[in-house]
Amino acid sequence: MKNADINIDLVSDPRLLGSVRGLVRTYLLNEGFDSDRASEIVLAVDEACTNAMRHSYGGSTDNRLRLTVRKYARGIEFVLRDRGVPVPVEKCERKEIAVPDAAHLTPGGLGVQLIHRVFDEVKFQPGKTAGNRVVMRLISPEKSS
Amino acid sequence: MAMELSKADDGSGKHTITIVGEIDLYTSPKLRSAITESVPAASRALHVSLASVEYMDSSGVATLVEGLRAAMERNLEFVLLSPSPSVLKVLQLSRLDTVFTIREHA
Repeated sequence: MKNADINIDLVSDPRLLGSVRGLVRTYLLNEGFDSDRASEIVLAVDEACTNAMRHSYGGSTDNRLRLTVRKYARGIEFVLRDRGVPVPVEKCERKEIAVPDAAHLTPGGLGVQLIHRVFDEVKFQPGKTAGNRVVMRLISPEKSS
Repeated sequence: MAMELSKADDGSGKHTITIVGEIDLYTSPKLRSAITESVPAASRALHVSLASVEYMDSSGVATLVEGLRAAMERNLEFVLLSPSPSVLKVLQLSRLDTVFTIREHA
């Protein structure tokens, strides 16, 4: 992508998640975000990468992800692309996270909701036959949480 | 930074798992294995010390939820000890900070 501040292509190996977090965190701190707000955004980007590795690629570690970050007129845009199995949009819709009682806890599904809670605008765009594109936007971002 | 994990048995039925580092998709299976081994071994309580966890994502949260459920099935006390600010933040974002028993000291 032209004019991207970050454009990285990485293999779908969870061992690389720490490196991605470090890069995104450094970028956000350089852009003036405070540590707490940067941590939230890093978490959400990590969740998007994790979802692609787990669900689009089913845990296979030899596929590719591409993360692009760019500034645009309204704020900052993060885009994650994969070439895996398209994930149904219904599974990615925003829902209120209910406070569960301990007897009815389920361990899954949190990652997508964390992405929605951190970013101002989120679009999950599965391909017709393959691949997914996740667009996550911070609009006129508050740089402190 | 990767994750380091240690386990302790106080001899009176309480087991403690101590985590140092980051809990994410890559490291959470190690935590899951430790919890899976500790739940049947403990007769009274399982504590997970999170004071030195620099980062945790939803895979870590999911692993702790699994641990809580397994402990409840065996009537074990399941406690998160001294969670670091980053752990507390993801528990709050997940609205699970009130579901777990959280203590500053054992």
